[in-house]
Amino acid sequence: MFYLSRIEHTLRVPPSMLHLPILDAIKGELEKLFLDKVVAKLGLCISVYDIRSVDGGFIFPSDGAATYKVVFTLIVFRPYAGEIIIGKVKESDANGLRISLGFFEDIYVPIHLLPSPSEFKPDPKNGGKRRWVWDYDGQPYDIYETDEIKFRIHSIDYPAIPVDQQPNESNSKFQMEEQPKENVNVKPFAPMVVTATIDYDGLGPVSWWDGSGDADADAEAEAEEDS
Amino acid sequence: MKILEANAGPLTNFEVLDFLRSKGAAKDPTRVLAKVAPSEYKVYDYLNQTPASYQTREAIIEFVDKSKKYDLAKAEILNIVNLRPITPVEIFPIIEESDVRMGDDGIQELTKMVEQVFPASQSTSVVAPKECKEAEAMEKEEGVGGADEETMVTT
Repeated sequence: MFYLSRIEHTLRVPPSMLHLPILDAIKGELEKLFLDKVVAKLGLCISVYDIRSVDGGFIFPSDGAATYKVVFTLIVFRPYAGEIIIGKVKESDANGLRISLGFFEDIYVPIHLLPSPSEFKPDPKNGGKRRWVWDYDGQPYDIYETDEIKFRIHSIDYPAIPVDQQPNESNSKFQMEEQPKENVNVKPFAPMVVTATIDYDGLGPVSWWDGSGDADADAEAEAEEDS
Repeated sequence: MKILEANAGPLTNFEVLDFLRSKGAAKDPTRVLAKVAPSEYKVYDYLNQTPASYQTREAIIEFVDKSKKYDLAKAEILNIVNLRPITPVEIFPIIEESDVRMGDDGIQELTKMVEQVFPASQSTSVVAPKECKEAEAMEKEEGVGGADEETMVTT
C-alpha cells in the first residue's frame, strides 16, 4: 500500500526561507510541492521521509533564489494489483460503487466486478434511495453507503491530464441552458484512478463476513434501542 | 523531477503511522501547531482505525519470522500484517489458492498465530473481560496475601 520512492529534483528555494536552516527550508519547499499530489506512475505522495543529499545552491542570473539539486525519499500511496484494503463506501450509483479511504477517494468498483448477481434496487427503509444488493441464493445482501468494505485492487490507471478545451458553446442563452444537462454525469478529472473488485469470498462489506450475520446485527440494534 | 527509484522498499501501515507519530501527529490535539500537513492528518486518521494503531515493531518482526514456514509471498505477508486476519474467511482473499497451498489446518494455524502475535486492542470487548478477571484474580491474591500478613502480625 505504501512505498518509499527516491526522487531527484532541482528545487528553487526562495529567499524568504533564508532564515531557516537549509534542510528545514528544503523540506518545507518539497512538502509544498509534493504533498497530497499524484505523480504519474508513482502514486499519491504522502510525506517527505528523508533528504538524502543537497547539491549546488546556484543562483541563476536575474533570479534572487538559490537552486539546489536535492535527492530525497517520499512515502507514496500506490496500491498493488491483488492487494486487499478496507475502506468506506462513499457513494453508489448505476455504474457501481465509489470507495473512500479518507485521504484517497478515487476507487471505483464497476458493475462487472461486483458479486453476481447484483442489482441496483430502491431501499424502502431509506426513502427509496437506491443501493446495490447482492442476491446470494435468494438471500439479499445490501451494500449501504458508509459501509466499511473490503476490496481487492484490480488495476490502477494514471489518466493523462486533459488538455483539450470543451467544445465551444454558442453564446445564445437558450443553448447555454441546455448544455449542462449533457455534462451532468461528467466526473472531475482524477490523476490516479483505482479499479477494485469485491467479487470473491471474504470481500465486500465487512459486516457480511464477521460471522454475526444480519439477523444478529438486527437483534443487537433492537437491544440497543431497548436499553 | 527525476524518479531515481520508484520502489525503494514497501512500508507497512504501522511504519507509516509510526512515522506520522514521530512527526508529532498524535501529540497535538489542535492539529495546528505540529508540523503535520492536513493531508497527512487524513492518512493518520485512516491508519488509526486499522490494526496498525496497536501493533508494535517487535510484533511485526516476530510475525515475519514465524510466517517463514508457510512460504508466503512478501506481498501476502505485508497484507496480513496490515489487515490482521483472524478468521479463515479473511485469509482466503489475501493468500492465493490458500486451500491448496496450506490446507484447512494450515489456515486455522495461521489465523491463531496472527491473533497471538497481534493481540486485539484494549478497546475491543473480546479481550477486556479476560483482563478484568485477571485483574480481579490479582486483587484476590493480594487480598489473601494481606490477610496472611495480618495473621502473621497477630500471631
